[in-house]
Amino acid sequence: MAEAERQTNPLGTLLPSDVATANARMISLRWLAGAAVLLATALGVHLLHLPLPEIPLYLLGALILIYNAVLHGVAARGLSPRSDRLLQRSRQAVIIQVALDWSTMAVFLHLTGGITSPAIPFFLIHMLMVTILLPEVPWYIYVSIATGVLAALALLEAGGILPNYPALPVLPARLHLDPFFILAQVLFFATAASASLLLTASIMTRLRERERQVTALLHSSQAVSSTLSLEEVLSRLAKHAAEAVFTDRASIRLLDETGETLELAAAYGLRQEYQRKGPVELSRSGLDREVLSSGPVLVDQAASDERIQYPREVVEEGISSILAVPIIGRSGPRGVLRVYSTQSKRFGQDDADLLTAIAGEGAVAIENAMAHQSLQQAEQDRAQFVRMVTHELRSPVSGAQSLVRVLLGGMSGELSERQQDVISRVAARLDRLMDLINDLLVLAATKSESFVEQPQPMDLIPAIQRVLDQHSLAAGEKKITLLKDIPPHDIFVRATQDGLAQIFGNLVDNSVKYTPCGGTVKVTARRRSGAAVVSVSDTGMGIPKAEMTRLWEEFFRATNVRRAEIVGTGLGLSIVKRLVESYGGFIGVHSAEGKGTTFIVTLPLYAHTD
Amino acid sequence: MGKILIVDDDPDMVLATRLCLEYAGHKVSSARNGEEGVQQIKADRPDLILLDVMMDTPTEGFQLALKLRNPDPGSDLAPFRDIPILIFTAIHATTPLRFESDQDYLPVEGFVDKPLDPRILVEKVNTLLKKGR
Repeated sequence: MAEAERQTNPLGTLLPSDVATANARMISLRWLAGAAVLLATALGVHLLHLPLPEIPLYLLGALILIYNAVLHGVAARGLSPRSDRLLQRSRQAVIIQVALDWSTMAVFLHLTGGITSPAIPFFLIHMLMVTILLPEVPWYIYVSIATGVLAALALLEAGGILPNYPALPVLPARLHLDPFFILAQVLFFATAASASLLLTASIMTRLRERERQVTALLHSSQAVSSTLSLEEVLSRLAKHAAEAVFTDRASIRLLDETGETLELAAAYGLRQEYQRKGPVELSRSGLDREVLSSGPVLVDQAASDERIQYPREVVEEGISSILAVPIIGRSGPRGVLRVYSTQSKRFGQDDADLLTAIAGEGAVAIENAMAHQSLQQAEQDRAQFVRMVTHELRSPVSGAQSLVRVLLGGMSGELSERQQDVISRVAARLDRLMDLINDLLVLAATKSESFVEQPQPMDLIPAIQRVLDQHSLAAGEKKITLLKDIPPHDIFVRATQDGLAQIFGNLVDNSVKYTPCGGTVKVTARRRSGAAVVSVSDTGMGIPKAEMTRLWEEFFRATNVRRAEIVGTGLGLSIVKRLVESYGGFIGVHSAEGKGTTFIVTLPLYAHTD
Repeated sequence: MGKILIVDDDPDMVLATRLCLEYAGHKVSSARNGEEGVQQIKADRPDLILLDVMMDTPTEGFQLALKLRNPDPGSDLAPFRDIPILIFTAIHATTPLRFESDQDYLPVEGFVDKPLDPRILVEKVNTLLKKGR
């Protein structure tokens, strides 16, 4: 379908908006034309004392203004946005306007001297204007009709069927009857019109085509650079390339590591059988060798072209002509972009230029997507490595802890006080080591997608309640009051049970840990404008203002907690932040040193329509 | 007071558990893998079995538990089916998997986290032995 449109619009595709603009411009100019007729008539008669038929001319001027007002009213009502009807209606509107204008033009010429009228150049001007605004109609149509109108007018006046109104008394009285004069005027008119319309039409066509190409390039650029997914970039590139040159088939092949084979990376409009034809090897495909070494290649008749590696498959697919351009990245050629057509000799140099530009933009987007992909892979690999290593660390540390605890329990004989002290310190170090290992494992899990459970809809409230229950002992030991303010209804979010336990567990744990004896820790939960908002606040030691921005860094611990020698791995908040964000939420904090801290977790509510 | 069999390939865990349970007055024997474990069970019927989850293979402990609890009366471990089993596991802390004693799913009496908390271990062992009497 895209191809068909190209055939019937050899002068370039007009958008409905172009025609609408043309309409509007003509209407604006016509106000001037109507007014000018009235003014010129008045001046001509009263200032220059020309023998013009005053009343008919005033009527004509008024008529022009009236039908312009009608046209304006119709246009202002606006047409439906359905583009195909819009285009048709707009074209009809223009044709009506041109018909009306040329009719009034004929009358005006008649009233100002017919073939001797000094206003004949205005006719030419109108024709030029129409060509500029609507280059669709071939120039010879305009010229034929206009010349016909002029010739008809001359003959009707010469034959006496219509009266002649000579406007300029200085001209010979029977000029309008002279056959040579008539012939000369008509011929000059036809020649002048043909020459100027031809030139204008060709300029306009070129202009529109350039405009279209730039727009196609712009759209293509936007489409491919708005995504970092390599697959998306390639598929969009293929589609836009095809559309830009009005065809419906395209393919992208990229060089593999050996640089000898082109692997299919994206296909648009091609059948599966053709896509599966096999790898394209540079050694056997003269076409691709040429493209990669010297630039765009046009194949006019694919069936008989020796440069093609799979001629039989090409014929089966119905392909006749091919345009291939290289995709050149920062470090050299990356692959080949091809567009196909079922017509032979379909593509030209212009198409090659446009496609080369599109391929250039595409190359940038492809390389960006590849870089992004390898970055993500590197992150995954790193997370995997951390997970493996820390997992291996658990077993020996766990064994050591078990032995040390048995020792401390006096189960391997009585310990002296000094021995107790020393072994306790060993136990403490091992415990810290184990905490770190566990936190690292959790953190690595949040970074590696394959290991994270899929979030399910679940109620926040029981998770919060469990966390509070778990910490009631520790809080009690420090005489810290645990307060909760949770609603009687449920609050559903998308999360995992472990994730929620980690999030609230870490926050409440921190609050209890960093709040001195006798303080308060309060947890509130609310539903607020489509989100679940949970706050954990305490009357603890707070966070120094200067260190607030570093709070979420891995292994970061604020100076005041380090000075107070409170233990911690520094990973808790980075784990919490990653989990919250992976559930689509965000976390914020307020704090005042020495007064207390409040963490606020916001998560999107689970809507049952999800 | 009871005869306890530990099936675990980590000699340090075996030592820690042995010290702990002998201190609490029990008699402790050990096996390094599932095969040795079955031999020991048949040779000297224990009152309680402590199983490590991961030995030669990642689920060796579970598999032994399932073998022991095989409901088939013709199974050669049938006479030992009612011996209480505790499973050592470190899985709690690292993966989201939660194992609850479920008669249909996992036929054991309970779990003990690694690293050991001697008090908890002794408590669980004593409780199970009492139930058995």
